[in-house]
Amino acid sequence: MSYKIPMGPYHPGLEEPYKLDMICEGETVQDAKLHIGFNFRGIEHLAETRNYIQVIALMERVCGICSNIHTLTLCSAMERLTGLTPPPRAQYIRVIMAELERLHSHVLWAGIAAKLMGFKTMFMTCFEIREKVMDVLASISGNRVNYAMNRIGGVNRDIPDPQAILKMVEALELEMAHTVIPIFTTSSTARSRCAGVGVLTTEKAISLGVVGPVARASGVPQDLRRAAPYAAYAEMEFDVPVQPDGDVRARLLVRALEIMESCKILRQALAKLPPGEIHTEGEKFAFTTGTGTARVEAPRGEVLYSVSWKEGSRNPARVHVRTPTFAVMPAIRWMVQGARLADTPLIQASIDPCYSCTDR
Amino acid sequence: MTSTMTLLESIPEKLGTTEPWVEKGGVHWLTPGAKSVRQLAAAMNELHARFITITAYQLPKDEGLRLEYHWDLDGQLLGFPFQLTGNSIESIFDLCEAADWIEREIHEEYSLDFQGREYEPLLLRQGETSGVNLREEKK
Repeated sequence: MSYKIPMGPYHPGLEEPYKLDMICEGETVQDAKLHIGFNFRGIEHLAETRNYIQVIALMERVCGICSNIHTLTLCSAMERLTGLTPPPRAQYIRVIMAELERLHSHVLWAGIAAKLMGFKTMFMTCFEIREKVMDVLASISGNRVNYAMNRIGGVNRDIPDPQAILKMVEALELEMAHTVIPIFTTSSTARSRCAGVGVLTTEKAISLGVVGPVARASGVPQDLRRAAPYAAYAEMEFDVPVQPDGDVRARLLVRALEIMESCKILRQALAKLPPGEIHTEGEKFAFTTGTGTARVEAPRGEVLYSVSWKEGSRNPARVHVRTPTFAVMPAIRWMVQGARLADTPLIQASIDPCYSCTDR
Repeated sequence: MTSTMTLLESIPEKLGTTEPWVEKGGVHWLTPGAKSVRQLAAAMNELHARFITITAYQLPKDEGLRLEYHWDLDGQLLGFPFQLTGNSIESIFDLCEAADWIEREIHEEYSLDFQGREYEPLLLRQGETSGVNLREEKK
């Protein structure tokens, strides 16, 4: 006999407020339906009522974790409408902020995954390391979240002493390489909870159009930093980790390896940070009528902003945001089919869902 | 291996248009001509392009809606605009399942009907009226 188990929107097994209705036969999930919309804020509509400065502060609040990525993508889209090009130093600072944000997002996710696996000590370790990343972000921007770093034509704050940041990054890299990554990649408990669980095949990943670490863990080598480089990524050397298995363990490995790649990018960007201005100084700008579109590889995958403007207007006519979790979340239905009910919280967490991004 | 430029050049013919690609605002735009959005989706599938999203715009006065379909082809962002005079367009969900959620979202936000598919509520709850989030209320 099959029965329905609703999980969410507010449930101790979920990190985010969405709802999953699962049809089960015994302990095995046969099918599932996802429901979102519990946190809809109408931010796209609200953006039309904000001017070109206010809209940056507004869109920074789409997401609490990847707030910098949202302003980076928005400003890049608006720069296409104004013709402004950020100076090289600003492009490097954008890379540094984006990679620090990826680090703190991935380490936060690792902590949550550890907790769901039953690794409470590892949860605390990850959050302790994450605090150090937050310290670096705070030392650059003055804030732990909502950094207010991006503006049209550059960034708001400089990194006056890159060597000091470099030392913090090296210490972080060492700690991750010696504690977090070996446990996640070699522990038999992590393997038994994650291997072969919540599989998303390569074919299904392509068909669903999933992005980011979830796509790369299903054997799809897709990363905008490599395929369509923005900011200063064309000048960085890094690998794009790809795993073929499509299970929770593959997602764990991809993010673990991406932590190391982020450190590699950070070391390069800090060492090569060019001198000069951090934004287009004193240059007047005006918006042309049309649509500017930009894409950025956020910690969870591709973010797209389409910004439409009418010449002479202070407010955008339309701001459309396609966030990575919006593209990835439908895949949960396919991941939980055939899984044990007890594994479903970990499977759902393995996509690193960002609910505020999804609902906007 | 066929280069991205060759693939791009093959698309207008597949869509039966002589319009050139126009690169503007970070997107390669092509007006798809008389062929339907379903033929566009089939052509994109053939090229193994990755569906990204649909952006809906409410046009001033009674000019209707404009939909912009976006695909990624080897890192190139492609855009295809469709101007709608009525309140419906064919769904591509059966050809491109990645379009499921965004079709449902636009249906709820703009009260636009994607023909040939059924909807379940996405952002709205059961019984709530569609078209209330972005589109101005119909008088």
